[in-house]
Amino acid sequence: MSATRLLVIVGFLAAIGLVAVLEFASRRERSRIPSLGDVCAFVMQYEVGRVPVGRIGLFGFWWWVGWHFFAR
Amino acid sequence: MEQPSELTAAAPRPWDRPAVSVPVLVLMSVVGGQLPSFSAQANLYAVGTGGALIWLGLTNRVPRRPPPGRLGSGAVWWVVPVVVFGVFEGSTFVLGSTDDFPTFSRLADPLLEDGLVRSVVYFGWLSAFWGLVRR
Repeated sequence: MSATRLLVIVGFLAAIGLVAVLEFASRRERSRIPSLGDVCAFVMQYEVGRVPVGRIGLFGFWWWVGWHFFAR
Repeated sequence: MEQPSELTAAAPRPWDRPAVSVPVLVLMSVVGGQLPSFSAQANLYAVGTGGALIWLGLTNRVPRRPPPGRLGSGAVWWVVPVVVFGVFEGSTFVLGSTDDFPTFSRLADPLLEDGLVRSVVYFGWLSAFWGLVRR
């Protein structure tokens, strides 16, 4: 395995590990860090007029993620 | 018929309990995990399940958890993993996603060829999707 490939793998694992650490930290009592679910819910509240832009955007992104990994 | 937009979770419906939703998600994941990439069935299944969940999430037919009023200052920490992932994904994509500079999906594809791993990851995707619909 080349050094660059190892570096890339470590980088992606670090990002995933950071998500796990932040989610864990958010569940501590009186934590100032919101959970990932709360961040998503906050983003999904965003509307332009009566159009739920945040909701449509997050649903669309997650839909694309599934299609990208499972269908193509 | 348009549903009220402020529908929030009160009394959980029978089908809305984990004892019902989890087995349904497991079953859907097992089916999805058996469909090979680039097949018409896999495309239809991913588009169909995702489309159904989006329809549920946009038509307010599923009770939602009350949204947070505002986020604390610690929310900015969530930018860190996004930036780290974005830097590696962006740079490897620009470099052509080769064996030496693989994108995340190039690394994940060999793992997802295994039916069990594929079903487990499918379950994660569907569970997170269901969680978003409930928000």
